[in-house]
Amino acid sequence: MDVIDLRILLAPAISFGCAVLIFLLGARARWRRVLALGAAVTKFIVILSLLPGSLAGKVYVFEVLEFLPGVGISFRADALGMFFALVSSTLWVLTTVYAIGYMKGRHARVRFFGFFALCVSTTVGIAFAANLLTLFLFYEMLTICTYPLVVHDETPEALRAGRKYLAYTLLGGAALLLGMILVQSLAGTLSFSHAGVLPAEAGSGALLATFVTLIGGFGVKAAIMPLHGWLPAAMVAPTPVSALLHAVAVVKAGVFGILRVVHNIFGVDLLAQLGYASWLAWVAAFTIVAASLIALAQDNLKRRLAYSTISQLSYIVLGAALLTPFAALAAVVHIANQAFAKITMFFVAGAIERSTGKTQVHQLAGIGRTMPWTMAAFTIAALSFIGVPLFAGFVTKWYLSLGALQAGAWWFVLLMILSALLNAAYWLPIVYLAWFRTPAAESAPIHEAEALLLAPILVAAAYVLLLGISMQVSWLPFSLAQAAVRFVAGL
Amino acid sequence: MNTHDVMNFLPLLAILLPAMGGALAVPLERRGARWRNTVLGAISIATCLLTVALLPGALHAVPLELPLLQLTPQVWLHLRVDALGALFATTLSLLFLLALVYAAAYLPRHGRLARYYGFLMLCQGLMLGVAYAGNLLTLLVFYELFSLLTYPLVIHDETPEAMRAGLKYIVYILVGGSAVLLGVIVSFYLAGDQPFAPGGMLDAGMDPALLRLAFWCFIGGFGVKAALMPLHGWVPDVHPAAPASFSALLSGVMVAAGCFGILRVVFEVFGVELTRSLGVAPWLAAIASVSVLLAAVLAVGEDDLKRRLAWSTISQMAYVLLAVSLLAPAVTVAALVHISHHAFLKGALFFCAGAFARHAGIRRVSELDGIGRRMPVTTAVFVIAALGLVGVPPLSGFVSKWLLGIGILEAGAPWALVVLLGGALLAAMYLLPAVWRACFGAPLEVPVTARSDARGGMRFALLAAAAVTVLLGLAAALPGLPLSLARRAVGAFFGAG
Repeated sequence: MDVIDLRILLAPAISFGCAVLIFLLGARARWRRVLALGAAVTKFIVILSLLPGSLAGKVYVFEVLEFLPGVGISFRADALGMFFALVSSTLWVLTTVYAIGYMKGRHARVRFFGFFALCVSTTVGIAFAANLLTLFLFYEMLTICTYPLVVHDETPEALRAGRKYLAYTLLGGAALLLGMILVQSLAGTLSFSHAGVLPAEAGSGALLATFVTLIGGFGVKAAIMPLHGWLPAAMVAPTPVSALLHAVAVVKAGVFGILRVVHNIFGVDLLAQLGYASWLAWVAAFTIVAASLIALAQDNLKRRLAYSTISQLSYIVLGAALLTPFAALAAVVHIANQAFAKITMFFVAGAIERSTGKTQVHQLAGIGRTMPWTMAAFTIAALSFIGVPLFAGFVTKWYLSLGALQAGAWWFVLLMILSALLNAAYWLPIVYLAWFRTPAAESAPIHEAEALLLAPILVAAAYVLLLGISMQVSWLPFSLAQAAVRFVAGL
Repeated sequence: MNTHDVMNFLPLLAILLPAMGGALAVPLERRGARWRNTVLGAISIATCLLTVALLPGALHAVPLELPLLQLTPQVWLHLRVDALGALFATTLSLLFLLALVYAAAYLPRHGRLARYYGFLMLCQGLMLGVAYAGNLLTLLVFYELFSLLTYPLVIHDETPEAMRAGLKYIVYILVGGSAVLLGVIVSFYLAGDQPFAPGGMLDAGMDPALLRLAFWCFIGGFGVKAALMPLHGWVPDVHPAAPASFSALLSGVMVAAGCFGILRVVFEVFGVELTRSLGVAPWLAAIASVSVLLAAVLAVGEDDLKRRLAWSTISQMAYVLLAVSLLAPAVTVAALVHISHHAFLKGALFFCAGAFARHAGIRRVSELDGIGRRMPVTTAVFVIAALGLVGVPPLSGFVSKWLLGIGILEAGAPWALVVLLGGALLAAMYLLPAVWRACFGAPLEVPVTARSDARGGMRFALLAAAAVTVLLGLAAALPGLPLSLARRAVGAFFGAG
């Protein structure tokens, strides 16, 4: 049932207002901190307050303006949108705390925190978009708002990475625009609907063009190979930005867009009939394996994380492309599972860099003795990626495998197993180095990162454990994911 | 809360108690060895008593059930105490207790003891979870976790050799675990979340290709742990590299956990009828037979004592799988009995090997000459355990071999008798020369007077293991001992109630 509610406009507005105030405040650091944290927490509470209604089956809507008949900016918080918004707002609180600690003493903090808040504002806009146009607008805004963050250090390398990032994502945006026009002309509407909006009789050529442009457009941010080039380059950004790119906003906006296209523009039935999804599944499968193989060879910790992200994102794409209820469920929950585990790892990488200056994997021998809590969190995230039972990643692996069997494609189950082993091959050596190798300097005392960095790490790691064992708790994202999937695929 | 409810929580308590002990290891280590020995010893004894307390129920009543946690909307983790699980749980917690006492005297006083004891206790809790698992996913969860958390125990000495063995171990275990996971996923897809039940949850109406896939995934996955050839690669490397106090557990109960998994799968996931109709059993029988004989031959040719014992484990555990593959009641009883009898025999032998290494610096069979005069107690235990494993009456090894022989004839597979006898003969060939050297060989240079036998906890553990071996041989038919439990479990498998 649709309910008009101002709160879904309020959520992005809070972050937006926060950004504006940060720019106005200028150099007053203490106020900026209070504001950033206050906004993050307030927004989290606003979204949490929508949760009971959403779980009860309510869909919140709010129409902002309609500039052409049938085309306008409007918001609609269904279960899938709520899921994305809840995950990103939870992570925003953690990332803000971490960023306050991490950016201490760095330059251009006003610009940093201002654009940071803008990014999160647009992310919620994406989550709550009711039609393709709204989604597109916020998606493009996100691209622009993240640019100053990527080039934050203003080194030649950062500027180069920034240019690469803009080139990839703007081209992706152009493809999206094209796809959007095609959808409008074929279906006469851009609004998302459960069963999809495209008519089956539209002709396979036009439908194929729509599919390729939309998936290609979102696929840039979802880093589907070969559209992933920007992501490893963007690793030069400060760690909280990497966390934002990899877990909270950018890449997730890409996969969220793909989920919307598959489920709400084409619809499962039409795609199954057309058979394009199996191609997408194979591309995702290739990305999962190829990115993992590249990750194996990376010695720079953040680069290894980047390739792991590319591989993990394609789990979501694969889940969407299999078109079965269990696979769809896996795709949705993996948005959260990957986000929390990956943000833990990024926070850890940043904390290690801040307190020891080490950035390469081979330098990490014995780091578990000096930073035991940090590395314990890292170990939890690593086990989650491998998919050890009771950790969050296992849930994804379980449902994705079942979904593949439902689709009659048992070879994707083998792929999941292979990917789990590859994950073990690039995460366990780090765990091994950290805990089971003696450090070069024997008597290194315990020296953790400061509390502002350590606390978000521990909370994120605890969340990974929580996601693995207590999916039945209604305020955790899993029940929303189930609602979302029941909605699109009739689970 | 009435007594019935309290009983229901006992299996959970048995899992949590050692795990809590593991968590206490770091603070206890700071307070000193005496504190640690007292507290962990008490916890380990309490765990043993808990598993024993669960025996009568498993023998008589319907199995205890305890739902733990709804993991996903479709899957529960739940515990269940039946005769098979209770038998394995009691065996392993008693051997863990002995290994704990042994370790207190065996391990050098310095060097990461908190890590050793912490992970040891944690593994005990997780292994009890394997024993009490009530469905496939619960089994998988505990199995996977204990396999991974064993790693720090394998590499405890941190020698280059131990690190290499550790790497080998972790690779084998991860691949094996993945295969088990695949099997679990396929069975879940076919039958949904169902508890273990005699007769199985899969039926012949399902897709035979998927059924075969699941079967071989389970055999391959658990077979890595059970050291079924050709998946045994880690066993001969890991045993010599790990400390003896842990090798004993590894050979005694951890390898057996793989066999335990296969038993569960064959009898309670597939069921006897389906396994027979799939036509997979003869293949398993062939692989197991080759494993029995080939590993024993390799053991004969091995000079390193611990490595020889490791080959022997591969050979002995393959007996269990051979027996399972015959799919007949009496031989399955024998297989279950053999698992727990072998645990104490092999535990005792590894304890001896550790004592020889620690007190006399002897690691090779060819160096054992005359050790009997310097270490009489250890050597006596070594002789008893070796004779037991060869199958000399009235020791426990004889009982299980006898039962295996009878069962094989009853199953109408006389060719398997040849394998059994061949294995026993080869066991005599790889163990008795060591016994002969220890007792009658002439010492080379060291004067006979230099007596330095195992003392304290090591001596206690050695004698206790030998005593259990003799007891299990003499009183095999007493209720509550492995034979009665095995009969109860197998009766259920084959539908005799």
